[in-house]
Amino acid sequence: MSNIHAHIPFSLTTICSGGIAVLVVTYIGLIAVVMSYAALTIEFSQSVKTDESVLATMEGQYLSTVASITSTNYAAAGYSLPVATIFVPTKSVTALR
Amino acid sequence: MRAQFRNRIRLVLALIVLVALLIVIRLYFVQIVHGDDYSQKADRQFSSGGSGLFDRGAIYFTRKDGTLISAATLQTGFLLAINPQTLQDPEAAYSAIISAASSSLSMDHDAFIAVAAKKSQVYIEVAHHLSEPVGTALSALKILGVQVLRERWRYYPGDELASQSIGIVSYGSGDALAGRTGLEAKYEDTLSRSGNALYKNFFTELFSNVGNLLVSPKDAREGDVITTIEPEVQTRLENDLKKVNEKYSSKQSGGIIMDPSTGAIVAIASYPSYDSNVLQNVDPTRLGDPLVEQVHEFGSIMKPITMTSGLDSGVITPDTTYNDTGCITVDKKTICNWDKKPRGIIPMQQIIEQSLNVGASWIATQLGQEKFRDYFTKIFGQKTGIDLPSETGAMLGNLSKPQQVGYDNMAFGQGIAITPIQMIRALGTIANHGQMVQPHLVSAIRLNSGIERDLDWSQTTQVFSAAATRETTTMMDAVVDEKLENGTAKISTMSVAAKTGTAQLTDGHGGYYSDRYFHSFTGFFPSYNPKFIILLYTDDPKGVQYASETLDATFLDLVHFLIDYYNVPPDRGVATSTDSR
Repeated sequence: MSNIHAHIPFSLTTICSGGIAVLVVTYIGLIAVVMSYAALTIEFSQSVKTDESVLATMEGQYLSTVASITSTNYAAAGYSLPVATIFVPTKSVTALR
Repeated sequence: MRAQFRNRIRLVLALIVLVALLIVIRLYFVQIVHGDDYSQKADRQFSSGGSGLFDRGAIYFTRKDGTLISAATLQTGFLLAINPQTLQDPEAAYSAIISAASSSLSMDHDAFIAVAAKKSQVYIEVAHHLSEPVGTALSALKILGVQVLRERWRYYPGDELASQSIGIVSYGSGDALAGRTGLEAKYEDTLSRSGNALYKNFFTELFSNVGNLLVSPKDAREGDVITTIEPEVQTRLENDLKKVNEKYSSKQSGGIIMDPSTGAIVAIASYPSYDSNVLQNVDPTRLGDPLVEQVHEFGSIMKPITMTSGLDSGVITPDTTYNDTGCITVDKKTICNWDKKPRGIIPMQQIIEQSLNVGASWIATQLGQEKFRDYFTKIFGQKTGIDLPSETGAMLGNLSKPQQVGYDNMAFGQGIAITPIQMIRALGTIANHGQMVQPHLVSAIRLNSGIERDLDWSQTTQVFSAAATRETTTMMDAVVDEKLENGTAKISTMSVAAKTGTAQLTDGHGGYYSDRYFHSFTGFFPSYNPKFIILLYTDDPKGVQYASETLDATFLDLVHFLIDYYNVPPDRGVATSTDSR
């Protein structure tokens, strides 16, 4: 027993303290990683919201363009209806749910 | 030597522990003691944060190719607030703000000065919905007592587009923004966001809510709503309804376009409506959806229902004839054709083609009260279950009375008041080979996890036999091919089944006006395998008597638009060309 004790350079208390210190530092390191991750998440989330806002503005422009085209009186603009239109079968794009 | 080394090691360890403790204590103060303050600061700076900012799921239109277009989404910007207690020079502040915001901020000078004089208050919002550049410019001023805060609000890119169906978000009796009408209200649980702030208190989450960090129950509930509304068809319908309403100075006009085989509503609109982004001066009575909340007597578009009931029950066949005398007296009340002229002995086809009230009453008599009640209760006796709030049921009082005149009137659409959505579902039964579907506006929920959950609307009820509906369809086909616009409305390569309706308006005293009408128009195509059914109405149009005059052009415009837009293949005639309108 005494021989074994002689081969350990530090006391049990020192080893435990060292272990605790390493764990604490690791814990703090993990916190730092989590906080950084959280900050990045927030930044990206906010970026998504901002992009969505820009997209919403563009969608508004699209819908107002559709409304403008729909309300255009082509006859008044000098255009006339074609005599006949030819039906060209294509792959249906109907996506009714 | 060894003891000295050990002491050094201990010292280093102690220092590490001390530093760690200091950091932990600091984190404790940052995260827990001052967590809220930093959260708000982050919101203001917009460098991070999101706590307290309004958040809500989106509502989407679905284009014909499946592309989703926002019907309701969020817009991000800034609000301007002042603290009257710390604002030193309101005049100078006002000038600086107006100068920095250029012309994009309209803020009344006197109102600003009056608000700044309220020294008992510390926070008053003076302007909302400021754009990114304006917010940035105002922040750069750094005026003491003026705050520029991040703000997010509900935004409807289509403005008026489908506004009554999409609904609105507003404050109710409490202080929370929530959906109040339309889909916003119906799908409140899906669209609302609870505790979804971007800022998370790490320690609080870790120690008190660790389960939610792994699996959140909100993820199974919160999401975006995907509708069946096609934005270009919706725009077309709204545009057409507006034209009709303005041309005839109607009280209100409305319309629905639906896929009769699934109940998916492609477009639904009424005029007048409102702009969802500008609610300040909106008449509150317009906020509801009249297509599901208001009942009308639709008139002769009820005749196909009566006809199909008679054919389905077997009391008549298409070849059955009757003697049309022009007017009949039932329970001491007189029922007449629209022109009061007798037609003599004629087959059933003519009842639909010439819209004969006497003929519809004759079918009701042949059916008998019990069978008539069974059919009409099955079709109109319950609400449709459409996914819109405040749906109204039909007024079917005449079905519980013994007087035959009540049944005879209902046979041609008077004395029975129903909602437009009930009416199109009933007529859709004829288009859908006797099966009654459930009309709906939402096809799927896209959860926050990214999973898209389709809603089940597949439940159908068989009301009529397919044979009976086909025979009625043939009669309605003839209306377009032979009667509408004297036969010029016929499309040589597309069968279209239709029926007009003109009902006298009730005077509120148990009678009817002799000169005020409710016009309706319905139709579906291709007649025997319909892709679309259309219902249109205009309430109290001025200077015109019959629906064939007010709504036929609108109906035909929509039919031709839908054929072109959806590239609907011809179902008859030469399969290579269609008439152009």
